[in-house]
This record gives sequence, C-alpha cells and structure tokens, in this order.
Amino acid sequence: MDEDYSSGSVDADREMTRLWRTWRTVFEMLQDRGYEVTEEEVQIGLDEFRQKYADPMGYPDRNKMKIQARPTEAMQLKYTALKTASNPDPQPDCGTIYVEFCPDSSGVGTKQVRTFNHFVDENNFHTGVFITQTPISPSAVRLLSGVPGRICEHFQEQDLLVNITRHELVPKHVLLSPEEKTRLLQRYRLKESQLPRIQVSDPVARYLGLRRGQVVKIIRKSETAGRYASYRWVI
Amino acid sequence: MSANQSNLKTSLPSAHAASNQVASQRRAPPKPAMSRQQKKPSSSKSASDPRHLAIALHHAHRIQAQKDTEALILDRILDLVTYPTSPSADPASPSAQDAQAFKAALLPFQPADYDNLILERNIEGLCGYGLCPREHRKEDSHGTFRIKWGSKGSGPGGRGREMNIVPREKLEMWCSDECAERALYIRVQLAEEPVWERRADDMRGKSLILLEEGRANQQGKDKMRSPPSLREVTGQLDNLHMENAPGPSNLEGGMSRLSVRDNSRDLAMERGDSNPALQTGRVQVQIQENDNLMSDNVTAPEMRPGDDKGGSIEGYVPQEF
Repeated sequence: MDEDYSSGSVDADREMTRLWRTWRTVFEMLQDRGYEVTEEEVQIGLDEFRQKYADPMGYPDRNKMKIQARPTEAMQLKYTALKTASNPDPQPDCGTIYVEFCPDSSGVGTKQVRTFNHFVDENNFHTGVFITQTPISPSAVRLLSGVPGRICEHFQEQDLLVNITRHELVPKHVLLSPEEKTRLLQRYRLKESQLPRIQVSDPVARYLGLRRGQVVKIIRKSETAGRYASYRWVI
Repeated sequence: MSANQSNLKTSLPSAHAASNQVASQRRAPPKPAMSRQQKKPSSSKSASDPRHLAIALHHAHRIQAQKDTEALILDRILDLVTYPTSPSADPASPSAQDAQAFKAALLPFQPADYDNLILERNIEGLCGYGLCPREHRKEDSHGTFRIKWGSKGSGPGGRGREMNIVPREKLEMWCSDECAERALYIRVQLAEEPVWERRADDMRGKSLILLEEGRANQQGKDKMRSPPSLREVTGQLDNLHMENAPGPSNLEGGMSRLSVRDNSRDLAMERGDSNPALQTGRVQVQIQENDNLMSDNVTAPEMRPGDDKGGSIEGYVPQEF
C-alpha cells in the first residue's frame, strides 16, 4: 500500500466515522420524536454503515443517505388537536418525515435548498430535514422556512455529532398532547401565556421539532424533591 | 347572547385573517389547532372594546406587510443571482435593459440584503457584482490574508505605495478590483433602514446609479459647470464692487453661487445626503437681534454696608474669628 493512499484512507475513515455518529443521532432523533424506526436501524454498527454507504474510495456517499419514516400512532395522537364543534374529527398534524444529507462540501445556497424544497413538496412529505456540512446562507434559511404547508428544518452535521439530549446535564423534555395541555392549564388555572417559555430555536426544541404553541414538560432531578417537573410554552 | 354570538362570528375572521395568513405562509398545519384555542378569549374581549380589535389589526397588517417585503426581497435575490441575462455581457457597459432591471430590483434592499445577494452569487461561482457574468476569482494559496499594494505615489506623504491587508474572502468575492468598486458603489447608495420604515419623501435609495453612470455624470458636470461658473463668479464680484450697498439677500445669493454650492453638494454626496431638502441645511436658523439692551443711566458700583468685610455670599455673611 503506498503512502498517498493510506493517508487518504485515514481521512476517509475519519469522515466516515463522523458521519456514522451523525447518522445514529438522526435515528435517535426520529425515535425520540416518535417516528417508526427499528432498533437495528438506530443501533447500526460502524462496519455495517460503512458497507452500506461508502463509495469505492472509502468516502461516505451522501447521495445514498436518505431516510423516510412514518409517525407512530402514539405520535399521531399527540399531534391531533382537540375535538371542537367546528372540527369534530381533527386529523393528526404530522406525517412522513424525509431526511436528506447534502453532498456539497461547501457553499450551500438557495439552489440546493430549492431542489430540496421541490422534492419535499413533490413527494408530499409532511416534514423535511436538510442536513449540510457547512452553514447555509441566510437567504437559503429563509427559503427553507418559507414552504407553505410543509415544515422544513435544517441541521449541520456537526450539530448532530453527539446527541445533546443524552448529556447528563440536559433534563428530559416530554411533549404534551393537546389534551394534556388543557388539563394542565385547567389544573393550575393558567392561561398558556402565563407559562414559562422556551424558544423554537432552543437546541432541544429543534431536536424534538417542537412547534409554536406546544407545551413541553421538563423533568429534572432535584435534591429536595426527587423529581421536579416544570412546563414550558414553545414560542 | 345571540347578538354577541353573531358579533363573534363576524369579528373572528377579520381579526385573525392577517395572523392566520402569516401562519399559513410559514407553516400551515400546526397553526389552526392553536389559533382556535386562542380565538375565544380574544374575540370576546374585542367585542367588549372595538379599540383592541383595531389595534390588533393595525399591528397584524404591519407585520404582514413586513413579511411580504421580506418575501419580495428574497424573490429578487433569487432573480438577481442569475443576472446578467447574456453570458457575454460586459460589466463596464451593461445593456440598458439589464442595468434598469438591476437598479429597479435593488430599490427595497438594505445593505445586509445586498450582502446576501453577493454571498449567494459567490456560492453560484459568480462575481459578486450583479451585472458581471464572470466567475469570481479563486486564490490558490491557503493564507487567510492578502497584501494589496496601491498605485505608485499612493502611500503616506505621497511617497511609496499604499499597503492594505485584506482578508482572502473579501478578495474572492469579486472577479476583479473594478467589479468590487462597482458593487460597493451600489452598496453605499442603499438605504440603511428597512423599506417598511422608510418615509415616502425620503430620496435616499430611491434612485441608484451605477459607477459608470456616476463617473459620466461627474465628468459631464465638470465640463458643463466650470466655465460658466467662473464667468458667473466674476460677474458677481463686479456686481459687489459696483453696488453701493449690497443687500444681505443679494450677498447671500452671491456667496452661495460663488463656491459653497459645489463643495456642499460633494460633501453631501460623501455623507450620503442626496435629499434636496437637506441641502439647504438641516435647521432653519433665525437670528433675532435685541436692540437697546443697555439702559442709559449707567452708574459706578457703590459701597454697600458690610462690603468692606467681603460682603455676603448669596445672603450668607461669613463670620469673623
């Protein structure tokens, strides 16, 4: 084996490992959000991942890395609005999610985002997740969030290198269903605007794909009370 | 109750039309569930006080207008990324059509939006200047900074060469220094404040000119202006000497025609005040002179009791020790 090739393969190996970690975090994220993913998919080993997604040179082939997942029934229940007089049969507000890794290594602009938006729209996905290696331009961000009727999110690969929700200092965040939310508000006789808040751009909120108006329950360990639950309204 | 109910129903759609529109633009699905929960309390309030509804509507319309403008600017950026229309266009003398469209499209831009446009063009591999079809330059070496030397005699004290240290990204934005100058010439003309806060009579950012046009104007003006202004000036001087008592208004006019006009206009251009209303001066100064303030009977100061010991200080008489 000559010198050049080995240095190239070390490089490829590092990139492959990084991407494998990102890949696993994406699956953990889908699982935490409540999409149907199997345990094997989440626990995929590095070797298997390399077999599946490496190109002949040993570098990851991002064009092959596309994920689709459907929501579980539990998730559909959580995303179904309460019955009202005008809407006696509310439909769950979630659907198939589509994750794409952008193969371009630098300079991701409106062109790639437009293609992505078009693909999501054409295949009628409810949510799209666009994962890039570098930050995308401000106009591309605006374009991504401006798709009518669809939700498009953006992550950088390095943001997902480790799963932040598995960190010991990050408390557990649980999304409340509309029913649980009304019960909470009745119990404490609150208006939702009287709850503490959490931003949509909060890292954990982005991880869970929270939307404006939802309420999330945060469970912390407490020295005095054992477990302490607080609630936050997503704005 | 029934009247109240009907009132609710009529007020609801209009009250939330604007905010719902915004919601449906951004992300339609999550909103309906939420807004339905919110509607009831807010609408019962609006029934009690129509002013609240009016205020809410006012703000909703403003936010909507703002979002519309942002969408418009985004569309224009996407359009301008593909400019100019022909791949063989010359940035130094763009086609009139392209130049017109380019300038018209840039009117609502802020400098930050313009930077986004440049970034977007660079991602596409094009020069940052909107009317240049060439590729932006790519430096081979990996240093972060470059040293740029100015022309001969541009250094301090008119000797040597001027040296600038420039980040590599800034250099790589453009295809050449000329294009950089052209693009930045446009950028300084853009208005800082967003479109929805601009006033209708604000001339800034309303008419953009390209660098070439600006230069042509400048030269044209210089040629046109210099001989007559000289003659004008001498004429005025003659007038000044010949007239026995030059009135203040006449003098003022002569002064302004003498030299102030040219300088002030250049200075205003440098400051970026292209508003003609500002050229006469920001504040109207009115001087009012008071006559005969001094009364006629002026007397010398007199000794008062206690003044020999220094007198009182605002009523307090220092004690002696």
